[in-house]
Amino acid sequence: MSFEYRPMPDFGLPLRERLGQYPRQPDLTIDALRTAARWIVVGLVKLQFPTEVRGSLPAGERIALVANHQSHLDSLVVLAALSERRRREIACLAAKDYFFSRLPMALGGSLFAMAVSFDRTKYTELRRWSRILRDQRRGCLLVFPSGSRRRSEAHDAILFVLAKSGWTIVPVAIAGTRAAWPVGAALPRPFRRVRLTFGPPMSDVPTRDLAAALGEFWKANA
Amino acid sequence: MEALAQPLPAYTALAALGVLVFGAFLRLTRLRAGWTPYRTWLVMLPIIFAALWLGIWGWALLVTILSIYGFKEFARATGLYRERLFVLVVYAAMVAANVAAYFGRFGLFMVAPVWAVGALTLVPIIRNRTEGMLQNFALSVVGIVYFGWFLAHLTYLAIWTGGLGLVLYVVLATQLNDVIAFLFGKLLGRRHWTVLSPNKTVEGSLGALAFSVAFAFLNWPLAFPELPWWGALGLGVIIGAGGQIGDLTLATFKRNVGIKDFGNLLPGHGGVLDRLNSLTLVAPVALHFVRFFFDGFP
Repeated sequence: MSFEYRPMPDFGLPLRERLGQYPRQPDLTIDALRTAARWIVVGLVKLQFPTEVRGSLPAGERIALVANHQSHLDSLVVLAALSERRRREIACLAAKDYFFSRLPMALGGSLFAMAVSFDRTKYTELRRWSRILRDQRRGCLLVFPSGSRRRSEAHDAILFVLAKSGWTIVPVAIAGTRAAWPVGAALPRPFRRVRLTFGPPMSDVPTRDLAAALGEFWKANA
Repeated sequence: MEALAQPLPAYTALAALGVLVFGAFLRLTRLRAGWTPYRTWLVMLPIIFAALWLGIWGWALLVTILSIYGFKEFARATGLYRERLFVLVVYAAMVAANVAAYFGRFGLFMVAPVWAVGALTLVPIIRNRTEGMLQNFALSVVGIVYFGWFLAHLTYLAIWTGGLGLVLYVVLATQLNDVIAFLFGKLLGRRHWTVLSPNKTVEGSLGALAFSVAFAFLNWPLAFPELPWWGALGLGVIIGAGGQIGDLTLATFKRNVGIKDFGNLLPGHGGVLDRLNSLTLVAPVALHFVRFFFDGFP
């Protein structure tokens, strides 16, 4: 009989990269910090931004919340609107070059906004995510397919990957966050009203029409 | 001038001087490999001295954090980290050992591993599983004894009257021993002598041993003036030989697991365990040497 060592899958990776990985590997320290940070941020968002939530989040094992993006506050208000079980498992796709190039930003993004790293500069990244999503049995992803707070149209590619991997796409329209935390402002402006609309799952929308259907949903509700 | 006769202010000044001299040495010899670890030292030394200046609680806290983080690296490397309950018991044992040491409860401190291993026996029963349990149990015992209890001796050293000098000497001399072995090996090393750590050379190891003995006598009047000459000699040998044995022990663990370093927190050094490897073994041996032969400090 001999011992068989199986190092953790993320062993040897720098902390910055470990924070951004998906699926997340269990880590007592980071998990505890993430829980504490999540409670703080949800408490603060609920206290400072009166939020109206329309529609309800459908039950399911693999759900991708696909939202319009106009502010850093977007992911935080979605987080605050979810149940604690969903909050624990949610991962928010965030640009690696912006959120995970430096440790302090990676810590903030991962602990407070549940961010995971998406490398938008690498053309093989979608293939990698396609494999990850296919293998994942359950989870909840928050995706901003416009890829930027300054762009309003959704990129087709990530929607295509989500749909082909069998994830349920749920459209989410966020309104009011642009005024609550404008692009370029260092801090949010508290006590602005925010509205969040969860649409019905887009299971019967053909993949090629997803971007257009999302655009219409956001236009009508955001 | 009176303050400089005390170990802590004197060693703080000496460490600052050492950093400057070593920086100048690296610049003169153009030893490029030394710059990254040197920069990391510029961060580590202030942390060590800040903890000591804060008092024994600061030092105990630093030792506990380092033990826990070091064990976390070990558990992640071996896969034990998947077993949260084992890991939590080891963490709790580390905290308990340092608390016992901080309050100077020597009896409790000495039996802390017994209680901790006793608590470990409950884990397979609670998990109600047999698969992999022997391996996880064994790795947890290594964590409790080698990374937890052995390192907690550093906290116990600090609470003795006059022990602060000994702590400073043991910590700095052990680290210096590693640096000297590295430098002697780089500059003069020809003959490799062990497969456990293929870069080790006879010249580097003997150079570090000789340096440690000389360094012990240099520190004698400041760090442990109560000890006789053979006490200083003994401490020099413990640091010189024990440091290298501790280094080789961790090198064996790493090669057995199949990794190069335990982590990457400390650029140029690897993980916390890669830095603590010598100290882990030296701390208990030094403490029990002084306690056995001199009953603490005569």
